[in-house]
Amino acid sequence: MLGLLVAGWLNQSAWAQSDPTGKRRVTSTYAITNATVFKAPGDPGSKATILIKDGVILGVGSSLTLPKDAKVIAGDSLFVYPGFIDGAGTMGISKPKDVERPKDFVSSTPPDEVAGITPWRMATDSYSGASTLVDDWRKAGFTLSQVIPDGGMLPGKTALVLLGEPKTNNFLKANAAIAANFRSSRGMYPATLAGVMAKFRDIYQNTALVIEHERLFASNSGVKRPQASPTQTAFMPVVQKQLPVLFTAGSELEIRRAIALQKELGFKLILTGLEDYASVIDVIKSSGTPVLIKLQVPDDKSIKSQKADGVTEATKAQYARVKESYDNALKQAAQLEKAGILFGFSTTDAKAADVQKTLKAMISNGLSEKAALAALTTNPATILGVSSMAGTLEKGKLANLVLTTDTLFKEETQIKHVIADGYVFDYEIKKKSVKAEATPAKSEAAPNGVQVEGVWEYTSETPAGSSGGEITLKRENGVLAGNITFDDPSGSGKASAPIKNASLTGKTLSFEFDVAAGGMSLTVTISGEINGKNMEGALSVPQMGSFPVKATLSSPSQAN
Amino acid sequence: MKKHFYLLVAFLGLGVGMSHAQIQKGSLLIKNATVLTVTKGNLESSDVLVQNGVITQIGKNLSAPAGVSAIDATGKYLMPGIIDAHSHVGLDVVNEASAPITAEIRMKDVVNPTEIGIYRALAGGVTVSHAMHGSANVVGGQNATLKHRWGTEDPADIIMHDAPRTIKFALGENPTRVHGRGNGIQPRSRMGVEAVIRNGFNEALQYKKAWEKYNLAKTQKGNTLTPPAYSERLQTLADILDGKIIIHCHSYRADEIYMLINVIKDFNIKKVVFQHTNEGFKVAPEIAEYTMGASVFADWWAYKMEVYYSTAYNAAILQKNGAITSINSDSAELIRHLYHEAAKTQRYGGLTDEEALAMITINPAKQLGIEDKVGSIEVGKQADLVIFEGHPLSSYAVPQMTFVDGVKYFDRKADKDDQRLSVAATEMVEPIFLRANEEAHRCMQDVDKYFEAFQGAFFVNEKH
Repeated sequence: MLGLLVAGWLNQSAWAQSDPTGKRRVTSTYAITNATVFKAPGDPGSKATILIKDGVILGVGSSLTLPKDAKVIAGDSLFVYPGFIDGAGTMGISKPKDVERPKDFVSSTPPDEVAGITPWRMATDSYSGASTLVDDWRKAGFTLSQVIPDGGMLPGKTALVLLGEPKTNNFLKANAAIAANFRSSRGMYPATLAGVMAKFRDIYQNTALVIEHERLFASNSGVKRPQASPTQTAFMPVVQKQLPVLFTAGSELEIRRAIALQKELGFKLILTGLEDYASVIDVIKSSGTPVLIKLQVPDDKSIKSQKADGVTEATKAQYARVKESYDNALKQAAQLEKAGILFGFSTTDAKAADVQKTLKAMISNGLSEKAALAALTTNPATILGVSSMAGTLEKGKLANLVLTTDTLFKEETQIKHVIADGYVFDYEIKKKSVKAEATPAKSEAAPNGVQVEGVWEYTSETPAGSSGGEITLKRENGVLAGNITFDDPSGSGKASAPIKNASLTGKTLSFEFDVAAGGMSLTVTISGEINGKNMEGALSVPQMGSFPVKATLSSPSQAN
Repeated sequence: MKKHFYLLVAFLGLGVGMSHAQIQKGSLLIKNATVLTVTKGNLESSDVLVQNGVITQIGKNLSAPAGVSAIDATGKYLMPGIIDAHSHVGLDVVNEASAPITAEIRMKDVVNPTEIGIYRALAGGVTVSHAMHGSANVVGGQNATLKHRWGTEDPADIIMHDAPRTIKFALGENPTRVHGRGNGIQPRSRMGVEAVIRNGFNEALQYKKAWEKYNLAKTQKGNTLTPPAYSERLQTLADILDGKIIIHCHSYRADEIYMLINVIKDFNIKKVVFQHTNEGFKVAPEIAEYTMGASVFADWWAYKMEVYYSTAYNAAILQKNGAITSINSDSAELIRHLYHEAAKTQRYGGLTDEEALAMITINPAKQLGIEDKVGSIEVGKQADLVIFEGHPLSSYAVPQMTFVDGVKYFDRKADKDDQRLSVAATEMVEPIFLRANEEAHRCMQDVDKYFEAFQGAFFVNEKH
């Protein structure tokens, strides 16, 4: 009896009172004691205690007095870094519903919102902190992100969000930048890259004229009423140089084109999503544009598929060029550092699980660890205009921290806790199994009661439209396997491919498959959370991005 | 070349501060060639001296100044760099097909200097190409005149900045098919095409007037006149009316050619070149009198209804009537042997060597408004030159070296198997097929995928 009572009391004290979910935290004050603290990039690290309260760092030092309500995290064997900042990404962002075309639709003069011109939209309206992608990125050490709304050439306003407790308001800034893409509208003006550039100029110049009109209206009487369109109203801060344009430009030519537009029109510019930029480093440098490079390196599939024997000299020469290009791609980040360009990372299209691997690849190709950490912390803080509150571990800054088992970038280092907005997230430390990220789900039938085997019908939304097919999953010798059908990219009808690297972790199913398109082979990853017979998640295609995917288990297999 | 430069810069630890690499200009002496000047006759066993990208001396027994290297061209022919007045090589986008008038589109925005077609054109002796918008619209975008400076990754390096502005117009089946039949808007017929052009110019006149009125009013005290809307589309049409832009008009039939001549007479426009112009021979005197001539195919027709009434004598008839006439490619394949295309005017029409060569040099230069800079071998002109083994109009002609601004960008002896400037890090090396898409014409590129609903029999084989 006493034992039960004690147990009940312990339970209550651990989970707080009058909280039926048992999830509310006991205190918002934490002390990480006697940890090795790296306050900023370049800091050699020293033993210190960090005290945080209500999402703010109260102090970093060795002689702090800990309040009674402070929950202590023993940091003796831990290494503490400033929380990582995603310069720009799409985690937690859902695609807004397609706008219905008006009855009098004419493709040469479509309404702005049908043509992907929606700069008034807010990322805050389509963001959910409860998304699994947010969990994934937080787990990788990220605590703050600039999220870009989904859409066309001008999808909307970006927002700065904290990766804190999803049920709280995590918005740090609802209007951080106007996002822009070289993304044309299918079947209407602007239908091509050339049209997008012309339309961008048109919007810019006409917004400038509306500002002039409003000025005239305010100062002189007898002036006709100004009628700014929603697009122009939203774009005004760009023309007035109050808000930067966050331009997604992946390739060298896109980077040149965005900078050319900036030079012509004179707006504030941040480039994001950079993928190939080795030959434009001088152009970036001389324009003074801050950049956010993709937190990924090219996949090595084409390198690995190169055959040593049985190929002609000509093919070998081609192999060598691909290899050279691949090697150069890995060195790009180091070249940015050498050129002294302010750069951070963008999580767009990248995989959270690959962060360590990606950073290590960049570091082993010349990027200094200091610069890598700066690109994860202080640089994006500067670029996003939040260095007074984020990017370093100092008194008064936001309580965004990463706690690791060893120094960052070491092979065995793992993240044990992430503190975002003062909320502590704990992660399991795997013992000597760093590389076992996608262990095949070798287990008995339906672990955790999650039914995965059978035939799933899925649909995905991509810029090319909605597509879908069937996923057939079966355990063979304890390993999940099967195949997937999809719209054949090289024509009509369906194509099929075997499923690779399937795993089921908790409720999360993830697997890969290869799609051959236009002489290239792409590995597509599907990852989603299963709830009963439904799965929701993302389909990610390298260099194209992630797209929402939904699936229903239409015929569960009864074999288990 | 540029890559090496970067390596050097990195090696020396120099700051990389320049925004654009300077356009390279070369110096050289070409010795003992048969010089086909095109405008000043042929010179046997003569030398051409190029200094800092410009031809400075033509004559015999010239000696190379210090530091200038000499090339022995004994037994070879030297001709001006070939100019293609109708091409889509080096462009990432060809058609913004979404509206009947898209004069605000700038092809300079979408130049891709790494496209392999540029190198292949150099291998065919072509040093300048007119990178045009496609023919889906009545008024397409503004074209870019390119100089084939292969090796750069900066589009600005291959744009011929001292060339005048030009714009694409298109008559007939393409715009009526895309907009009228494909999309249910004007123009649905040739009459509609004319209406679109006339309405466009009239709107441009109103636009210009509105801005003039506003610019005058805004300096007055207590002004209540507000700025008109900005439209680069109408401004560009106004610039055409002001003689600042040369129209290059896709056309086939005599009636539509004559229609446009009437339109330009009404709007007092002088600068028009007809493109394709397959029925130009029927209205050759009018083309000669009112326009800057016609740029035609040597012998290509019957790919759609409006191109059936054609003849290989077209170029010669136009030429004999006094129209400035050029032979163009409109193709990444034909651009590699325009000298053969020009030679066809000798078989069909009996043109002289000089007249035939003019069709691919000085005549297209005139149509692009760059005849004072390129198109012939004359002192003071930019040193765009080609050395041929065999006379360029011979069936056995093979280009050996091609120079732009005195810099050698093609040398048959140094031609590597793989001349690509950039290779994707994730490229799978697959077998290469002899017949690729390069043979398809790009005049209607980006259109078929755009107007899916109308895909079918019409779009399968016809692209110009």
